[in-house]
Amino acid sequence: MMLEILKGGLHTTVQDMGRQGGQSLGIPPSGAQDGFALRIANLLVGNASGGPLVIGGDPGAAGLEITMAGLEVRARADLLVAITGADMAATCDGGPVPLWRAFILGAGRALAFGMAKSGARAYLAVHGGIDVPIYLASRATHTKGQFGGFEGRALRQGDYVPVGPAQGDIEALAGRHLRPELVPSYGGRRRVRVVRGPEAHLFSEDSEAAFYASAWKLNPKSDRTGMRFIGPELGFRPGRPRYLIEEAGEDPSNLVIDPGAPVGTIQVPSGVEPIVLGTDSPSVGGYARIGTVISTDMSAVGQLQPLQSANFMATSLEDAVAALKRQESLVSESSIAT
Amino acid sequence: MIYHRPIFRTMGDTALNIEFGNETSIALNFRILALDIVLRAHPPNGLLETNPQVRSLGIVYNPLVTMRDKLTAALKEMIASQDGVKTLPSRRMTIPALYDDPWSRDCAEAFGVRDNMEYIAEFNGMTPGEVIEAHTACDYWVTGVGFVPGAFMSYAMDPRRRIGAPLYRTPRSWTPARLLNFGGTTSTIYPIAVPGGGQLFGRTPINIFEPEQKNAVFRHGPVLARAGDRHRYRAVSRAEYDDIRAQVEAGSYQYQIEEDSFDCAQYIAWLDSLGEPAEKRDAQSTWALE
Repeated sequence: MMLEILKGGLHTTVQDMGRQGGQSLGIPPSGAQDGFALRIANLLVGNASGGPLVIGGDPGAAGLEITMAGLEVRARADLLVAITGADMAATCDGGPVPLWRAFILGAGRALAFGMAKSGARAYLAVHGGIDVPIYLASRATHTKGQFGGFEGRALRQGDYVPVGPAQGDIEALAGRHLRPELVPSYGGRRRVRVVRGPEAHLFSEDSEAAFYASAWKLNPKSDRTGMRFIGPELGFRPGRPRYLIEEAGEDPSNLVIDPGAPVGTIQVPSGVEPIVLGTDSPSVGGYARIGTVISTDMSAVGQLQPLQSANFMATSLEDAVAALKRQESLVSESSIAT
Repeated sequence: MIYHRPIFRTMGDTALNIEFGNETSIALNFRILALDIVLRAHPPNGLLETNPQVRSLGIVYNPLVTMRDKLTAALKEMIASQDGVKTLPSRRMTIPALYDDPWSRDCAEAFGVRDNMEYIAEFNGMTPGEVIEAHTACDYWVTGVGFVPGAFMSYAMDPRRRIGAPLYRTPRSWTPARLLNFGGTTSTIYPIAVPGGGQLFGRTPINIFEPEQKNAVFRHGPVLARAGDRHRYRAVSRAEYDDIRAQVEAGSYQYQIEEDSFDCAQYIAWLDSLGEPAEKRDAQSTWALE
């Protein structure tokens, strides 16, 4: 079974819940920027949801991550699909299609995604999963490393993307939907929770306060490696040792190489434009980090549109873990209605 | 400086960093690599990944399985029971390189900056020939692997031979794959075409990242370097470069790697005998550590 790509859109890649174990090799997890949306899409169509990212050890089924606009696909067989995440006013041969609900896309019918109205990334899951080869235990695409996914690259016109075989009666799964009260909204000023550290102590008190008090706009030059935020310049405490200046340079944000690892880390090079590391981010860093976005809230960051505002909110580690547990209880059949 | 006790830094809800110091130090890296070996052999409950780097050990853990305090207590106990590092497994690898190569020159020209080899030579008060001599004269210790797939950080093991140059002020938007470069005294190779700010001075014909895993050396994974490897560079001519490259592309090149171990205690004693300070300090600094 196949999906034919009629238009690749702005940037569409095959993603699952990523690969684990690559931190000490420079291999990023990759995987969905909004893991919640992809996992729900997979659940709706009866696939393995996998995850959570980085810690789950289970990539689950692969789907398509559609960035901002433009994908058009045609089904080469009857397929059970679900669209979640950003609202890109998707249509099927001109007629509207539902979000967060499994439906049959008949053989020969085409799905078209417009411009994102809210959110930045839509997910298309197909019953059977996108069946590209597994590379390093995942089907996630890392375009910069040119591996994983569909030939290690974004999809384009003329690609035929393989879909795994159906298991059972797809008609019976059609109509499954996420309980309406659980459907996330992506508009307005978003709140993103942050755990303090690892170098928060290097920033001046005023700057750390400004970081949490300000509205930050997503720089359009953001991608899956890093999401950059426009806002006030942040300053550092004085008294940097001489040997660090010699070793790492004059800029107070420069540190000696360090594991920059986890997705969600907020680096602030030169105190300008904090960068939230995405799922394709490097595994070492060298810039002061003011905090780390908690793992559940990376979905909200991944759904920010260019120039949309976000507030960072200080959160305890306990609350971050509680949020993760809550999310894990939601990625389950109990959240699905028929 | 090197901390009396490692500092545990919080990296969100799934990771932490065990920071041993804030400077570049091969001797410090020995302790980190030794701890990494113990952790990989006896991972505490919930520990998922480790990421050893020059001055700290990154930890990824599953907070649904363990609590941070519990994991931290187990890690502290393991650190406390560690003795001084005597030896470490350490492979010796020869890396052929065409120095002062046309790709580095073209890349610098394309970004409107000065020839990088000339700049490196001037920065170190040397001629380009002396730069090549210095870079091939001693082993480089790989302190950690990472950044982009297959990249590594390495440092000259003979402090008298240590050279380097500051990163570009504005990073390039691209660099061809396999270019040798300096960022400060860190010597590395870009595994794939990437943006970057390193000063370029040569190109190796061998792959340090091979996603297709054609060559037998990549049968266990696509990444060549490992933390704790010793690299020795060998200058080659353009003809030899082309010949090796053809073999690498055919998947038939014999990588020159020797399994070995390294006497860390003896190395540290040797550094002492050279009068190298064990750590760097700045008495005037008011920099807070936490």
